[in-house]
Amino acid sequence: MWKGSTLVSEPAAVSGLWRKAGEARAVDALLTIATDGATAVTDKAGVQLAASPFSAVTVSDRVGSVARQLTYPRSGVFETTDNDRIDALIAPHSGKRPGLIHQLERFHPRLLVFVAATVILCAALYRYAVPVLVEVAVAVTPPSVTALMSKSALASLDQAIFEPSKLSPERQKLLSDGFAGLVALTPQAKYEGPAYTLNFRAGGAIGPNAFALPDGTVVLTDELVELAGKDDEMILGVLGHEIGHVDHEHSLRQLYRAAGVTALIMLIGGDIGSGTEDLLIQGSALMSLSYSRGAEAEADRFSVELMHKAGRDPTAIARFFELLRDKYGDKDETDFLSTHPATPERIAETLRYAREVGVSK
Amino acid sequence: MNDMPAAQPQTAPNYAMRREPFTFTGTTREYFGIWIVNVLLTILTLGIYSAWAKVRRQRYFYGNTHLAGASFDYHALPWRILVGRIIVLVLLVAYNLTLQFLPVLGLFIFIALMFAIPWFIMRGLRFNARVTSYRNVRFDFTGGYWGAFLAYIVGGMLIYGSLGLLAPLASRWIWNYMLGNLRYGGRSIDCDPRLDRLYGQWWLPAFVFVGGTVLAGALAFGLLFGLDFKPVDPASASGWSIGVMMITLYGAMIPLLLVFMLSSLLYRAGTRNVAMNETVIDGRHMLASSIGRRRFAWISVSNLLATIFTLGLARPWAAIRMASYMATVTALDSTGSLDAYASALQNEGTATGSEFLDVEGFDLGF
Repeated sequence: MWKGSTLVSEPAAVSGLWRKAGEARAVDALLTIATDGATAVTDKAGVQLAASPFSAVTVSDRVGSVARQLTYPRSGVFETTDNDRIDALIAPHSGKRPGLIHQLERFHPRLLVFVAATVILCAALYRYAVPVLVEVAVAVTPPSVTALMSKSALASLDQAIFEPSKLSPERQKLLSDGFAGLVALTPQAKYEGPAYTLNFRAGGAIGPNAFALPDGTVVLTDELVELAGKDDEMILGVLGHEIGHVDHEHSLRQLYRAAGVTALIMLIGGDIGSGTEDLLIQGSALMSLSYSRGAEAEADRFSVELMHKAGRDPTAIARFFELLRDKYGDKDETDFLSTHPATPERIAETLRYAREVGVSK
Repeated sequence: MNDMPAAQPQTAPNYAMRREPFTFTGTTREYFGIWIVNVLLTILTLGIYSAWAKVRRQRYFYGNTHLAGASFDYHALPWRILVGRIIVLVLLVAYNLTLQFLPVLGLFIFIALMFAIPWFIMRGLRFNARVTSYRNVRFDFTGGYWGAFLAYIVGGMLIYGSLGLLAPLASRWIWNYMLGNLRYGGRSIDCDPRLDRLYGQWWLPAFVFVGGTVLAGALAFGLLFGLDFKPVDPASASGWSIGVMMITLYGAMIPLLLVFMLSSLLYRAGTRNVAMNETVIDGRHMLASSIGRRRFAWISVSNLLATIFTLGLARPWAAIRMASYMATVTALDSTGSLDAYASALQNEGTATGSEFLDVEGFDLGF
């Protein structure tokens, strides 16, 4: 307190410009602050333009060396570019420490530490914090929300694409029993896991397909059953894969992950420029495709394990991929940008994993 | 101004025109610290500091932009920006959730978004204008919803629908909306760029785009057929052919992106010149813009490359370089005094009191 005021022997003053509230015209002016905190702005002739206790004046924060404003409410604005002078002048009167952020920003070797910290933090955030935040978000998402989402998703698909299944009740029962047998063997079946249901539909535009919604609703199309012919094991292998997606909560994870990464990029967007921001967002979209391929591979392995546990053929799902490959000529690995791993790779990996599971048990 | 000898400044036009150049006094040395602290604190606070970061960044750039002996100023309050950002974030999450789980509603959501975007743009422009001052006098923005709808939605669809042929028409609407609705000290700003002049700036980027696309296509085909890769053996799970796919994809995509970027840079620089040169403030001060199109494109591209190859560290240098260049190519041809203005909105409280939305993310959507 005392230090600041005793250093200045003559009346502490700083020169600048005075503008009346809302007016463009400026006059040269001098700002003085007395030891008791009374401030006054005078023009060159010594005529007082404004006066007020310091506590009633708003001082703009220091940013680099841009001009500072002292705003006198309803009276006017005193502006000065003499940043050091004004800081010294107001130091004894402003309660808070002046310009903490500005002190951090000054050109100083310390900035190198900030650079290193930023790089490490970015990497750590992406590698550790995002997955943790995703896990937290998945954990706090109430089952009723996923149930609502899944119900409305199925309802809108029913309305727009699907028709009721034309499979015979006997075939449906057979597959449903097999499905229930697999569900009973999932790691979560002992606890209160998702309520798995198997739903038969005529696929319409989406053709031979099977998919899972996050609440455990699994949909199987008639076209896929037809494609499989008499090979019910193969269908169960595919269903095991879908159960794997639900069990690992893939769709929720993927959703939260994409949202979290994009939000983080957008928040520093202003500081990195729109060009770099676009590149990062495109890059993270590419990364999320690879995450999606990882999820598919995980679900494939889940199917292998589950089928093995059920005493069925663990390579059943590989037969399905072979069928797809032969039927649709999916022979080359054109799936680089797709959400699923390339078919030949998946077949090889599934067979390898089935051997591994078979040997270990 | 009260003691001016020629006593009729309001009625008799003063033909003595002075050219006042814009100057930018920011330095990389100074901005680097501001920038790294902004990024670091934004990450440390999981994004909350980004609102404060924006205010410091804007104050630095505005405060270092000078015209006729005075600088610009940015007055936004950080917590207000924060509230705006939280609102936008919640809307984005809701939008993505709906899209994810109600895909059939996608079309409706898309249409709803089409109608929401102009509102966000309008509010964003208004917010930015009202928190900006020059010589203690605030700007204001009076553009309405349908003007934004015409400029950004109809204009945007026109650009895509006509494959860029009608881009100058959209540019005219956008500039007219952005600058023509600005107010300074209650005085109007006119901006009505002539269509023929905008088309004059259209040929070069159009030529670059078409020529570049042909070249990029040829390159991709060359890669596809030149590299003769074997059909893949199902048993080998090697990543080799994925590598080939990558080369082909990036061989086509990256040149195409570069071509698109280059032509839009050339176009943006050209149309800015046209639009600003036909902008008149208060019927007496004229903006003048003289960007060199190739120089602008070079600065933009080299800035981006420098930023990428230094993992972002060159960004402060790039931002300062661009701001300096933009200032040197901009001027105000002024007749009469710049001192004779007063804020139309006297009370600063009402100027920003109702604005809770800062939606800068939408500014560059098109």
